[in-house]
Amino acid sequence: MTPKVDIEAMRRTNERFEPFCEMISVVPDEDHEFTFSAKDNLCAKGFQARAGSRILEGYRPPFDATPIWKMRAAGGLLLGKTNMDEFGFGTFSTNSGYGIPKNPFDPTRACGGSSGGAACAAALLPGHVALGVSTGGSISCPSSFCGVIGMTPTYGRVSRYGLIDYGNSLDKVGLISRSISDIERFLPVISGSDPKDPTSCCQPRLDLSKVRKGPMAVPKECLEGLTPDVARTFDDAVQTLKEGGTEVDVVSMPSLKYAMPAYYVLATTEASTNLARYCGMRFGVAEREYAQHFNDFFSKTRSESFGDEAKRRILLGTFCRMVGFRDKYYLKALSVRQGITKEYLDVFKDHSMVLSPTMPFIAPKFDEIASMRPLEMYSADFLTIPPNLTGLPHISLPCGYHSGMPIGMQAVAPHWEEGTLIDLGKRWGTTFAYKVPEACQ
Amino acid sequence: MSSLEKETVVRVARVARLRLSEEELAKYGKDLEEILDSFEVLNSAPSSESYDFNPIPVMDVLREDEPFIDIDPEELMKAMDTYEGYVRGPKLS
Amino acid sequence: MRIGLEVHLQLPTRSKLFCSCPTNGDAPNTSVCPTCLGLPGSKPVLNRKALELGIMIAKFLDCRINDRIWFSRKTYFYPDLPKHFQITQYESPVGNDGHYEHEGKRIGIWRVHIEEDPGRIKRVGRSGEEVSLIDYNRSGIPLVEIVTAPDLESPEQARAFIDQLVTELRYLVGINVQDETSVRVDANLSIGEERVEVKNVQGLKNLERALRYEATRQTKVLDAGKRIVRETRRYDEERKITLPAREKEFEEDYGYIGEPDLGEYHIGQWARETVLKETPFARAERMSAELDIPRQTARQVVLTSGSLADLLEKLCKEVPSEKALQWLLGPISSNWGALEKVIDADGGACVIDIVKADASGSITDSEAKIRLQKCAGVKSEGTPACASNPDMISMVNSFLDAHPEVVKDLRNNAKAANSVIGHVMKETKGQYSSKDIVECVKKEISKRV
Repeated sequence: MTPKVDIEAMRRTNERFEPFCEMISVVPDEDHEFTFSAKDNLCAKGFQARAGSRILEGYRPPFDATPIWKMRAAGGLLLGKTNMDEFGFGTFSTNSGYGIPKNPFDPTRACGGSSGGAACAAALLPGHVALGVSTGGSISCPSSFCGVIGMTPTYGRVSRYGLIDYGNSLDKVGLISRSISDIERFLPVISGSDPKDPTSCCQPRLDLSKVRKGPMAVPKECLEGLTPDVARTFDDAVQTLKEGGTEVDVVSMPSLKYAMPAYYVLATTEASTNLARYCGMRFGVAEREYAQHFNDFFSKTRSESFGDEAKRRILLGTFCRMVGFRDKYYLKALSVRQGITKEYLDVFKDHSMVLSPTMPFIAPKFDEIASMRPLEMYSADFLTIPPNLTGLPHISLPCGYHSGMPIGMQAVAPHWEEGTLIDLGKRWGTTFAYKVPEACQ
Repeated sequence: MSSLEKETVVRVARVARLRLSEEELAKYGKDLEEILDSFEVLNSAPSSESYDFNPIPVMDVLREDEPFIDIDPEELMKAMDTYEGYVRGPKLS
Repeated sequence: MRIGLEVHLQLPTRSKLFCSCPTNGDAPNTSVCPTCLGLPGSKPVLNRKALELGIMIAKFLDCRINDRIWFSRKTYFYPDLPKHFQITQYESPVGNDGHYEHEGKRIGIWRVHIEEDPGRIKRVGRSGEEVSLIDYNRSGIPLVEIVTAPDLESPEQARAFIDQLVTELRYLVGINVQDETSVRVDANLSIGEERVEVKNVQGLKNLERALRYEATRQTKVLDAGKRIVRETRRYDEERKITLPAREKEFEEDYGYIGEPDLGEYHIGQWARETVLKETPFARAERMSAELDIPRQTARQVVLTSGSLADLLEKLCKEVPSEKALQWLLGPISSNWGALEKVIDADGGACVIDIVKADASGSITDSEAKIRLQKCAGVKSEGTPACASNPDMISMVNSFLDAHPEVVKDLRNNAKAANSVIGHVMKETKGQYSSKDIVECVKKEISKRV
């Protein structure tokens, strides 16, 4: 069965909401079973892969990222590449070089980031599944802001071959969709060992029928710093869960306060090495003024073509691994990550999952974002960072609405236990009524 | 707390091959200082001597020594600026 | 004088260190892929063989093998380095704290690690306006880096050390050093307190020259009452001098971090189970001690051929080593071309019997030699007197007929016989000894005079 693709409707949607940075212009003749999109940092033959960055202008990867190859092999038609913060550096997809996606529920508000275009497409296009990527919350955050379901699998569950690196020890390819059954259907498609990515080769087989039982844990540290509407909506959701027979305990996870700094140290140190290759040679922006000394040649390209946040994170990451600072920041962050993982594992001894709101506020308006300082933006990720830092699978589910804007909750399971999260999503779907943006009807 | 010297920012920018104006140096210097201050909490985190580079164990993944060309190198070179098969690059000195 | 070395050698693998590209790329950029070009989205996967060879080398150098190892990113900017970081090893090399015996001296080995090579740069254009042209065929070629303690005491010793090491590794793991210039060395040398590093010297000849120059230079500085500046220098091959490495804008800060794309490797068990072949110099050392023969002789035998050394060891079990050597370096060596196959087939039994018989005095010297030739399959059955061998006689005569000037010369100059001897030896593929041929030639000439 070939689902109908309405290119004109997609174009109209894109003019208004800008989920895509690149789209197909004609529907190919070949049969396909479903349609999907991919975040722009996933390489796909036939499309540019620019990861939202001007420095990758013109890069046409000669290969498919493994998750894209698998989706295509399963009968998927790739509709296009979705907008994102440059290299994943952002919480609102406003650091995008190719268009800023607008929130499907209110175009004056952001979609969240960095997989903002992916969540936007999933919310607006009928029967659509989007491949997203999360490093520190980039699937959960936009899913929460756009009122869709975001599944971030365990680190290493889905091959990263063909994913343009941000933080190699943190990056995870996942799925965003309006429907939990799509997530259940496509997670097995994209998962599995891939000899082209060693970090995917040490995983146990995905078994979605394996479901953990037991009470859920809500860390009290995750209830601080929320806006009242998020706090109230989350409370109501917990109440609904309890009424449905799920036990919910409030626990304490004091080490969560170290997650934000540890994450930013590791993510930016890794990013600063990954981004060293962008220099005006070989791929992307071509400098071509070869008569310059190589230092000038590289510095010129990098200064002209990296965006503001990319520069900030390169500086931060370079600093954190330099002689004299490396032990204090980089090595310390590695060891802190172990400590946080251990704390999660302790909680999982008597709890099936850890639950919290996904974001501390609803999708902000673009003018509110413009006045935020970098540290404020970094801090907004404090709920999504801990599972991302520790490679734990998590899902963001819409759990309520405030002023017409969606609010999400995030459940975290032990490594490799994605089945428990999908089971929660299915159960939640039977009691909770998801809203569809007006623009979609 | 961790007041960041301007010369440190200058040095970091040079190591990272980013050319920054005076205003940018000041702006990023201030941002970094604020961010690094918020990192100070790490000092109070319990430390262990051991560390891993991945959040899950990634161990002993190896490939056999079998030469294999998947993508035609000529195709790869088409996208690059080449001269007689060599990739063009800037001056060395 | 104290000299320490960092020796880089290519590991003999068929594919690159982190991708499957062949290591024998010829025309520029014909053996490249997304990984060794550093294309966004590519990932490295470690070559098992390269790690195995690294383990063997570390074990051979008596290193403590680190049970858990990982790779690190060394970040710096240069046009030949596709990712602008080199995947190398930093905190956890394959091996640490080894040593190697060189000419009776114990040279400390600080570390042995594996890393990838960058691409190769060709400079083109008018002087001062040269741009770079890069061939990435070399990018990702596996290298082993061996770092020694500053235990070497002279430039000559440094060169001899590497020479010996390379020979050993050729036998051990098949390291293929086509010409000596493919060895790349960073050396540090100190005469006084401060050490000076000479970076990126290509080849052993250049290394010795660079170190000699540097030693002289430092001596002069000290003699003039000045202090040695701790610095990095480079060797100018044209002018044969070392120069301060061009003042960089600033020192690079490599900012090492772990390589998360590869994870970690547990090699302790693997290393323990790895059995190493005995290398030539180690074998020569052992044989010299066990058989009580000169070290130089032992080396000569071992480096000639492994089976010649096997034979010597077997012979020494049966006869005194003096007798064994006398045979081995004399008749056995001169008939080695023919004997080697026989000995490989029968384990040397035939030859050993002859030598035993000779040692016990049960046969005469010439009988023994005849038996040896018989054993070697040399066509000499029933012709004890080679000088009267009809084949040889006719061969000599036809040569003399064709070259009357030789006959003339021979009357005044005995050396003129060399051309005849050469001819006969070539025709008979060395079946007869030169002594026999000379005898025959003399006899036939005398008939003509």
